[in-house]
Amino acid sequence: MTERKHHLSIICIVSAFLIMTALLAGCTGTSSEQKVTGAPTGTPVVMYEAVTTPLRVAEVTTAPVTAPATATPKPEYTPADGTVIAYTAASLKGASGKLAEGYAAMYPGRSVVFNLDGTQALTTQVENGAYADVFISASPKYTKQLTSGKYFVDGTVKTLTTNYVIVILPAKNPAGITSLADLAKPGVKIARAASTVPVGIATDAAIGNLASSTYGQAWNDSVNRNTVTYETSEPSVATKVALGEVDAGFVYESTSTAAKTGTYQSVTIPKSDNYLQTYSIAVMSGSGKKSAAKDFENYMLSDAGQQVLLSYGFRPA
Amino acid sequence: MTPSSAPARPLHSIIATAGASLLILAVTLYLVLPIIALFFRTTPELFLASLANPEVTSALLLSLATSVISLIIVILVGTPFAYIHCRNTYPGKVIVDTVIDLPLVLPPAVAGMALLVLYGRAGFIGQYANIFGISIAFTTLAVIMAQIFVASPFYLRQAKSLFDQLDPAYELTARTLGASPARVFATVVVPLTAGGLISGAVMTFGRALGEFGATIMFAGNLPGVTQTMPLAVYVNMAGDFNAGLTISILLVLISFAIMIAVRYYAKTEVPHA
Repeated sequence: MTERKHHLSIICIVSAFLIMTALLAGCTGTSSEQKVTGAPTGTPVVMYEAVTTPLRVAEVTTAPVTAPATATPKPEYTPADGTVIAYTAASLKGASGKLAEGYAAMYPGRSVVFNLDGTQALTTQVENGAYADVFISASPKYTKQLTSGKYFVDGTVKTLTTNYVIVILPAKNPAGITSLADLAKPGVKIARAASTVPVGIATDAAIGNLASSTYGQAWNDSVNRNTVTYETSEPSVATKVALGEVDAGFVYESTSTAAKTGTYQSVTIPKSDNYLQTYSIAVMSGSGKKSAAKDFENYMLSDAGQQVLLSYGFRPA
Repeated sequence: MTPSSAPARPLHSIIATAGASLLILAVTLYLVLPIIALFFRTTPELFLASLANPEVTSALLLSLATSVISLIIVILVGTPFAYIHCRNTYPGKVIVDTVIDLPLVLPPAVAGMALLVLYGRAGFIGQYANIFGISIAFTTLAVIMAQIFVASPFYLRQAKSLFDQLDPAYELTARTLGASPARVFATVVVPLTAGGLISGAVMTFGRALGEFGATIMFAGNLPGVTQTMPLAVYVNMAGDFNAGLTISILLVLISFAIMIAVRYYAKTEVPHA
């Protein structure tokens, strides 16, 4: 009896395995509206849900909303259909609220959800299958990477805005920094972004330019020695400065301009040595609602969208 | 199903066995497949090449060193604490009991933020330390403090439960034979509960090794000083994917060793009251 029981168990296990494999193969690939994978725990990710207007069936005056090609076709328009998922560089965190409002104002009934994180983290997520409709990149490096990987729809990759690097100091300026030369003083604590983060790339370039044009290699080495942390996103650098835990931080000008008066002091980097970061926006080739995504891109590139960005300290494209 | 001359098993029995097998298989695969996928995404050559990367080796050494130090502190301070806590009733014992479990439910990033707000140089305690020139945040000390904060509940709960279960008769007998409380603790209590304590210690080590959120908030991310293995994995996820994979695999191997150690030591039973 035990031998037969043994055979039966093996047959059950094998058939269970085959059933599971069949189920797995069947489930993947049919639905284009996959779950958005959030950033790994530990990094501050801000998901902003725009104010969704009540269900209005026939009042969309602009481009018609395309129903996503899913296995179960939806019979009527719902606001969720118009929700664009935008994987966005973290430095747009402050502006994201107004941008979402402006988008809903231009295209009534639509909404946008921002997944804000370092562009490098978002790129890796997308390359590993994360779903997004729009991608806003803070660095040409990652834009190129994704373009060559065919993640963007041809012709939709456009320059969105630009940004310079600036040094911010806590409001009380505990280290008494008045110039860029002071950054090399012993004991000064500096926060900056890691070299894979777009603002980190910009920071490294700006410091290199400053060293070769004005301050010398010794200054460069001292600044590197004074760096106490390499953060993984731009807002994290700003947070460390705002808390007063470091004496200086390298962030984008937009962060300094848009902050409440009195949050930071700042030291500007001369334009000739500075690194102008170029942001791009593009529609994802894997998007299930490309026309809604294109509408969002058009909004971001329009006067309304650009005005919001300018008001938050970004520079024109 | 099986060709035999004996009567076939009843249908509900077959369905029950099938359902149970499916369940076991599903759970096992869900936990095991991601780990296996890590190994298949890289090649042995790439793995060994990444091991030579100085950032990988510094993260490995820093992680191991800080986790060991955190563990030693937790054991040295936590064991007497748990013993005194269990053998005495004192006002506020219930509160202390609850507070010990707090780091278990607190999100690590919140723990990191809290530590930063308290011990950072602008913090309530940190500002006084700063006057004396002592920095706490953004140092290796901060890494250790963060690890102790999030990992100590594992050891403390285990120690508490062991001491609660231990029959006081052994300690009382030793006292009547003339041993001091300290000698009783060292020569009677600890050897009897050693197995469980070691398994708690091993779990604490594993948790300390894997800490990410509190570390990056409180200690920052500086290669060689505060960049532990989990931080290195995250930072390398973009840029040097292979380094990230290598560190992940190293962590898996260490975790596996921890798991085996826990299973081996957890077998020893404590003499019950």
